[in-house]
Amino acid sequence: MKKYLATFLAVFLATGTAFAADTLKVGVQAPITGSYANEGQGIENGVRLLAEQVNADGGVMGKQIEVLVCDDQGTAMAAAICAKDLVNKGAKMVIGSYTSTCAEAAQKTYFKAGVLQTSDGTADSLTENGYWTFLRNSFPNSAEAEFVAKYLVDVKKYERIVVISDFSTYADGLANATEAAIKKMGGNVISRDKIKADSQNFTPVLTNIKSKNPDAIFFAGYYSDGGQLRAQQVALGIKADFYGGDANDNPDFVKLAGSSATGAFIVNVPEPAALPTPIAKSFIADYQKKYGEMPPSIWGLMNIDGMRAIIHAMEQTKSFDTKKAADYLHNMSEPLEGITGPIAFAKDGNRKGGAYVVKKIQADGTYFNEYVQ
Amino acid sequence: MDTFLQQLANGLTIGSMFALVALGYTMVYGVMRLINFAHGDMVAASAFVGLTIYTQVMGQATSLVAVVAIFLLTAVAMAIVGIILERVAYRPLREAPRLSAVVSALGASLVIQNGIMLIWGPRMRIFPELVPQVYWDFGGVVISMIQVIILVLSLVLMVALYLFVEKTRIGAAIRASSIDQDAARLMGINVNSVIALIFIIGSSLGAVGGLFIGLYYRGITFNMGWQYGLYAFIAAILGGIGNIPGAMLGGMLLGLFNAFIAGYVSSTWADAFTFILLILILIVRPTGILGERVAEKV
Repeated sequence: MKKYLATFLAVFLATGTAFAADTLKVGVQAPITGSYANEGQGIENGVRLLAEQVNADGGVMGKQIEVLVCDDQGTAMAAAICAKDLVNKGAKMVIGSYTSTCAEAAQKTYFKAGVLQTSDGTADSLTENGYWTFLRNSFPNSAEAEFVAKYLVDVKKYERIVVISDFSTYADGLANATEAAIKKMGGNVISRDKIKADSQNFTPVLTNIKSKNPDAIFFAGYYSDGGQLRAQQVALGIKADFYGGDANDNPDFVKLAGSSATGAFIVNVPEPAALPTPIAKSFIADYQKKYGEMPPSIWGLMNIDGMRAIIHAMEQTKSFDTKKAADYLHNMSEPLEGITGPIAFAKDGNRKGGAYVVKKIQADGTYFNEYVQ
Repeated sequence: MDTFLQQLANGLTIGSMFALVALGYTMVYGVMRLINFAHGDMVAASAFVGLTIYTQVMGQATSLVAVVAIFLLTAVAMAIVGIILERVAYRPLREAPRLSAVVSALGASLVIQNGIMLIWGPRMRIFPELVPQVYWDFGGVVISMIQVIILVLSLVLMVALYLFVEKTRIGAAIRASSIDQDAARLMGINVNSVIALIFIIGSSLGAVGGLFIGLYYRGITFNMGWQYGLYAFIAAILGGIGNIPGAMLGGMLLGLFNAFIAGYVSSTWADAFTFILLILILIVRPTGILGERVAEKV
C-alpha cells in the first residue's frame, strides 16, 4: 500500500511540476467583491486581456501565461491570505492590489518568497521597507500631495482649506502629506477630519466643517465615499470647492453624487480616454471590444503597465528569475513605452515621473481639464 | 446654534430610518419572543428590489406617481418575502428551543445577504435621483426635500401603526397574542395569521426604510443590511424591545445620539459610543426606556 502511495505521489508531483514548468503563473490580487469591486474587476479583466494577447503571440519565451485570481475584498486580512495562496500556487508575479492597505498587507509574503509584486497603491509607506520585489506602477502620494498643495495655495489662493480622509493606509497617508505640504507652503489648513469608510452618513462631520466656513475641501479617500460626501456637502449648503484625490476618479463618483457632482474637481493623472499613445489606444479598444465597456479607471491600466514591464524584463534578461528581472527594472537605461506613459523604476521601486491634472466635472458628468501640470 | 440645529435635523432623519427598521424587530419579538436577525438583510434587499422595479417595471420614470408605485410595489414584494421567510425559517421551529430559532434567523440572514449578492452582484449599486435636489435654508440650517419626506412619511406610518394596533380588532388580536399565545388561541384568535400579519407589517415598514436609505444615500451594497440591522436592533432595545412606541422613540434617540456624538465628539467613536450606550441600557434598565411603564408588549 505504501508503495502504491509513493508511486502515486511521485507521479502526481512529477505531473504537477511538469505542468508548472509549462506555464508562467501570474497572480491577480484585487478586490473582486466589496466596495471597490469595480476597480478590482477592472484589474482582473485587464490582466486576462493582456495574458490572452501575450499567449496569442507565443507567450513569454515560449511559456503560456496562466492567470490565478485571488479576491482580497479590499481588506488587509483577506489580502494576507491571498498572498500566501498565490505564493503556494507558484505565481512568479502578482498584479495588485488596488488599495495600498491590501498591497501592504501582502508585501512581506511576496518579498520572502521572491515573487514580484506590482501595485497601483500610492501610499509612500509601500516603498519604505526596501523590498526589491515591490514595483509601484503609479506615482506616490507625496508627489500628488505636493501638486495639490501647490495648486490650492499658489494657483487658486484658497485661504481656508479642509482636508478629509478615511482611515486607510492610502487615504490617511495622502491627507497627511497634503496637509504637511500645504502648511509648508504657508497655506492655512483649518480642519483635518476623518470619516469612516462605507459609513454613508457624513453629515455630522460636514456640519462641523460648515461652521468653520471653508473655501476648499480636499478629500483623500475612495470614490465610494467621495460621491456621497460631495452630495451631502451640497445638501448642507457648504459653498466650498470640492477636490477629490486620485481614488475618486471613477465613474461611480459622478453617479453617487448625482446632480451635486457638477462643479466638483478631481485630481489625478490623465484618464484612460485621454491617453495619447498608439499602444494605449489599441489596448483600450481591445478592452472595449472584449468587455463592452471602458476600463473603470486609470488604475487597472497602471497595473497592466506594471505587468508589461515585468514581462519585458524577463524577456530582456532571458530568464524567469525574479531577482534578475527586478535588477533589470531598477536599472533601466531608457523607459519602456507604456499605456499610461513611459515606465521606468527608481532603485526603491517607485515609478519615475508623473504629471497631474485637475479635472472639473461638467453638468453632463464628463470631465473638463481645468489645469494640466 | 446653527450647528446644533443642523445636527438635530440630521439626527432626526437617520433616526426615523432606524425607527422604521426597528419596528420590524420589535413587533416580531413582541409576539414570537424571537430576534429576527434577517430583518436587516430584508431591508437591504428591499433597496435592491426597489431599484429593479424602477429600472424594469417603471421604465425609469421619475414622476411622483412612479415613485409612489415603487414604494407600494416594493412593500408588497417584501411582504411576500417576509411571509415566505416566516413559513420556511421560523414556523417549523416554533416549538423548538429559542436558541434554534435564533440560529435559524442568523442562517436566514446569510441566505438573504448572499442571495442579494448573487442576484445583483457584489458591486455597489447606485440609486437614481428620484427626489429632486431641493434645499431650504433656514438661517444657516439647511433642510432638503428628501429629509422632509423621510421624516413626515415615517411619522405618518408610525402613528398609523400605533392606531392600528391600539384601536382596531385585529390590533387587539395582535396585542392578545403578544401577552399569551395559548389564551389568545382559546379566545378564537388565529395566532398563525397574526404572526403572518406581523411579518407583513414588519417587512413592508422595513421596505420603506430600505428605500429611504437608497434615496437618501444613493449607494447600496449587498452587505449594508448588517449595519442598519444592528442600529435598528439597538434602537429597539433602547426603547424597550417588544414595545411599538418604544421602537419609535429608540430609533429617534439613537439617530440623535449618533449625530451628536459624531458631531461633537468624534465620528470615529460614534459606533463605539452607540455600543457603550447599549451596554449601559442593558445594565441599568434592561427593559428599555418604555419597557416597564407600558405593560402591554407588542
